[in-house]
Amino acid sequence: MSAAFVSPIAVTRLEWRRLLVRPLAWVLAALTLAWLAWNFTLLLGGFLAGQIQRAGAPDGPGFTDLVAVPLLGQLAQLAFLVVPLLTMSMVAGERRNGTLPLLFAAGVPASRIVLGKYLAVLGWLLLWLALTLAMPLALMHATHLDWGKLAGATLGLALMLATLGALGVACSTFASHAAIAAAAALIIALALWSVNLGAQMAGLNGGAINWLAMSTHLQPMLRGLVSTTDVVWFVLMIVLLLALATRRLGAERERG
Amino acid sequence: MLSKQWGRRDNQAMTLPNAASAEPLLQLDHLSRRRAGRPAVQDLSLTLSSGQVLGLLGVNGAGKSTTLSMIAGALRPDRGGIKLNGIDFLEHPELARRLIGWLPERAPLWPELTVSEHLDAHGQLRGLRGAALKQSRTAIIERLELQPLARRLAGVLSQGQRQRLGLACALLHRPALLVLDEPANALDPVQVATLRTLIREQAAVGTAVILSTHLLLEVTAVCDRVAILHEGTLRHDGPVHSDDHAALERSFFEIAMTGSTDAARAA
Repeated sequence: MSAAFVSPIAVTRLEWRRLLVRPLAWVLAALTLAWLAWNFTLLLGGFLAGQIQRAGAPDGPGFTDLVAVPLLGQLAQLAFLVVPLLTMSMVAGERRNGTLPLLFAAGVPASRIVLGKYLAVLGWLLLWLALTLAMPLALMHATHLDWGKLAGATLGLALMLATLGALGVACSTFASHAAIAAAAALIIALALWSVNLGAQMAGLNGGAINWLAMSTHLQPMLRGLVSTTDVVWFVLMIVLLLALATRRLGAERERG
Repeated sequence: MLSKQWGRRDNQAMTLPNAASAEPLLQLDHLSRRRAGRPAVQDLSLTLSSGQVLGLLGVNGAGKSTTLSMIAGALRPDRGGIKLNGIDFLEHPELARRLIGWLPERAPLWPELTVSEHLDAHGQLRGLRGAALKQSRTAIIERLELQPLARRLAGVLSQGQRQRLGLACALLHRPALLVLDEPANALDPVQVATLRTLIREQAAVGTAVILSTHLLLEVTAVCDRVAILHEGTLRHDGPVHSDDHAALERSFFEIAMTGSTDAARAA
């Protein structure tokens, strides 16, 4: 392996280790998964109770529509709070500890520091998604799953988590305190989600303002509709946010 | 040729890229840097050869830590150049990864990691892996007597223990240049004596050492040369003799109080 690949992996390992020993990550994982498990049983109970009525409508909603996708929707709601808490001290905390210069002095470029930290949080978020997904998948032999719809929703959720992770890392790079980073990431994420709310209330369903909103791109995926435009939107946001974070960190190295 | 050196993961003694015997190991060329709107370092030129121990003296705010941060690669100079063994360090900042070991002031650490995990993280950031990393970690833990602390979290270490861990991290990858910013801070007399021995050992195997300190005795005890900084400029650069403590003290106070270099020249 060339030296160019060593640094981001070393940063990812370091960040991953820090994430795993921090009680916050475990507490967040335990509480949110317990909450999601409880909701899964409620959704499953509702699905089983309504099974007899739905028996007469063979094209009606199934397990995927009534249990799996709503569960992923709840994960998306929790992510607005969980991701900022998880990412808030990634760079802001290093700055407070005075450990950021240690990474600079190790010859790690700003882009690789940002990428390394992002990959660590992305790993945690994808694990979180996988554990949530394991709940409906545990019943795959007992019920009929709409695999296409579930795959679309999972892809949408993964892209949303990746975007929120990039936003969290970027906010942590810009903020001097971890709490400010968390607050900024939460507010920007909510703004990004609902920036088109006014336009939708006015009956406007197209235009740049709707294109800008995250909800416009996630909701079709949760229904199982995957379009290149939506995927590109998420990828563009991730690249833009990581580029901003890299630029800020690079400037900090220059400024001292 | 450089990339071959950077990609190495073994733990053999360091061989410098493009080693040219006539070149000094470190060459600072008219280095300048502003911080908080004022010049912290101005037009600083210095050279350092392998095996030399340079003491960097100066009052608070003289520019010592800024100079050391630039040498360690944590801070870019506004003007001037830094060469490591003749290679422009600013164009190849990756050089720092293998060649420089840095102990910053107050030894910043990741509080969530144990002593052992710290050493692993530093080693990985400097390109060490597997058996080489394990071997280096074991050796440095033994040398700095960190065994009882190996599983302890860095966040609960005393300042003296933090300094020792910071020093261990700086030495882990066997750097060619060791940059120590006030390493004796918070160490007890026994640990100070161990630190001096360690610095001498490093110099004996060819490692160049830059040591920033407030303690003149520290300089006369371990350094071959002394550089005195005042208001960001180099006011004195000369050899140190262990029996010359009084002359060094006169020079330092003359420069610190008046900014004059007359006494330093006389010394």
